[in-house]
Amino acid sequence: MRDKVRKLSSPSERRSTGGRMQVPLRPEIDTGTGATSDERARAMIEIDRVSKRFETSGRKSHLALADINLTVNDGAFVSILGPSGCGKSTLLYIVGGFVAPSEGVARMKGAAITGPGPDRGPVFQEFALFPWKTVLGNVMYGLRQQGVKRTEAEAQSLRLIEMVGLKGFEHFYPKELSGGMKQRVAIARTLAYRPSVLLMDEPFGALDAHTRTRLQNDLLNIWERDRKTVLFVTHSVEEAVFLSDKVVVMTRAPGRIKEIVDIDLSRPRVRAELLLDSRYQKYVVDIERMIDDGRDDAEHP
Amino acid sequence: MSTQRLATVLMGALPILFVLAIWQALCSFGFAPPSLLPPPGKVFLRLAQQLGSLGFLDDILATMIRLFAGFLIAVVLGVGIGLAAAVVPAINAVVRPLVQVLAPLPKVALYPALIILFGFDHASKITLVTLDALFPILLSTYYGASMVEQKLVWSALAAGTPRWQILFKVIAPAALPSILTGCRIGLVISCIVVFLAEMISSTDGLGHLLVGAARTFQTVDMFVPLITISLLGLMLNGLLYGLRKYLLRGFPEV
Ligand SMILES: Nc1ncnc2c1ncn2[C@@H]1O[C@H](COP(=O)(O)OP(=O)(O)OP(=O)(O)O)[C@@H](O)[C@H]1O
Ligand SMILES: [Mg+2]
Repeated sequence: MRDKVRKLSSPSERRSTGGRMQVPLRPEIDTGTGATSDERARAMIEIDRVSKRFETSGRKSHLALADINLTVNDGAFVSILGPSGCGKSTLLYIVGGFVAPSEGVARMKGAAITGPGPDRGPVFQEFALFPWKTVLGNVMYGLRQQGVKRTEAEAQSLRLIEMVGLKGFEHFYPKELSGGMKQRVAIARTLAYRPSVLLMDEPFGALDAHTRTRLQNDLLNIWERDRKTVLFVTHSVEEAVFLSDKVVVMTRAPGRIKEIVDIDLSRPRVRAELLLDSRYQKYVVDIERMIDDGRDDAEHP
Repeated sequence: MSTQRLATVLMGALPILFVLAIWQALCSFGFAPPSLLPPPGKVFLRLAQQLGSLGFLDDILATMIRLFAGFLIAVVLGVGIGLAAAVVPAINAVVRPLVQVLAPLPKVALYPALIILFGFDHASKITLVTLDALFPILLSTYYGASMVEQKLVWSALAAGTPRWQILFKVIAPAALPSILTGCRIGLVISCIVVFLAEMISSTDGLGHLLVGAARTFQTVDMFVPLITISLLGLMLNGLLYGLRKYLLRGFPEV
């Protein structure tokens, strides 16, 4: 506990040294997703033969997830793609500890996940901001829960609010913000308590294309600075390829993992360059085809 | 901003003025004999005179004490039980059938028993007010707290909030709009019931004044306590509205 507080109380120090230390770290991840780096990288999250069955009202139980095996390495950005209702959110909730798996186990740094904790920070598609708190109050919430003193929590939160581009809106209430701004607050609120894993459920799904692109870039910048592990659910193939080290493609319900694609594109990624990169385009087309195949399977079984 | 506020207040006053105008018209055109329906001017004049008399102020005070005490006890119990039932299934299992049986009961039927138990003074009337105001507050608290968005709770848990604190840090504030709506209904009911109780049996209070005046056919004096309790209700409602507006300043659509 004290350790956590101390770590939290020196964010500027941590951020700046983190920034410098990334330089030697980056090539290791850049050069890729080959066997050598996989062996060296530590497993952050292990999803081990997880199934989830919902007892639904009336009709018989519904199998939402079937036999999911997935390992997410420390510092990796992994996206999950799949048709609506295939259990992407459910999988994220299991890792978050909000929902218990029916079979199998999810582990975080080797320990079985039994409930929510500040080491895993969720960002929900619905924002889920506290309406009775201001932007500052929302962002400060986690720090205060961790026992950080008010003045210190406030100072850190103000820096974070500036980082997500909301300087000047600290004392606004969520209802006074646009959708994109709310999503920024939600991201800042989660980043504030420094989870080692970010669980993002279609965070940009409700946003217009322009805001979406901006937030994608911002998220990449933040991620390249902090190197958090990210589990990212999306419906957009472009978004998944642009952001991720790995893209997990799931099948129609019951959700199974259909394929895992390593995205071997160098970082830092610049959108304008990437869009012209034929390898990027090939990833997008290949993955779209995988998802389409799934659709055909479902229509002509 | 302030002119807009003034405009809304005036708009709110219009229907009331309209009713007063009809009242005045009924008297002026002789539809109602003055012995049965005194003109509003006369009633308000008497009200102004009465406000100068200590006896009348004592009656107002007695009514207000009963109203406030009964209402506040109802708020504490209603919010407490409602939240507890929403969060703890075991408590819900006990509370739910009790509420289903007791809520539709006409509480005023218990009043004779309350008088025997607590006597003619404050206690029996406060209890009756509490019993009547309790259920709307309890029910809206319960439903508000049961329908708190799950992701708010999850967000707080993930941020490191201990489970036992979720009730105070998330559920109660998130249910605040429903709680305050329940309180508003409870307040109106409290005004009605305190008056009713004083009419049935009392030695003081606004309801007692009305009954006394009615027995001696003093129609002007009959209307004074009526107007007083509705003005009182109007003021209390305004206070609660202000409080609601302040507490819910972050919530949409208030
Ligand atoms: N609490 C629940 N009770 C019963 N069934 C549920 C529950 N939550 C989810 N399900 C079912 O589990 C399946 C997967 O749901 P989930 O929300 O994980 O899908 P998803 O992949 O996130 O879909 P989308 O892309 O539309 O968000 C759905 O068929 C849904 O009906
Ligand atoms: Mg989903």
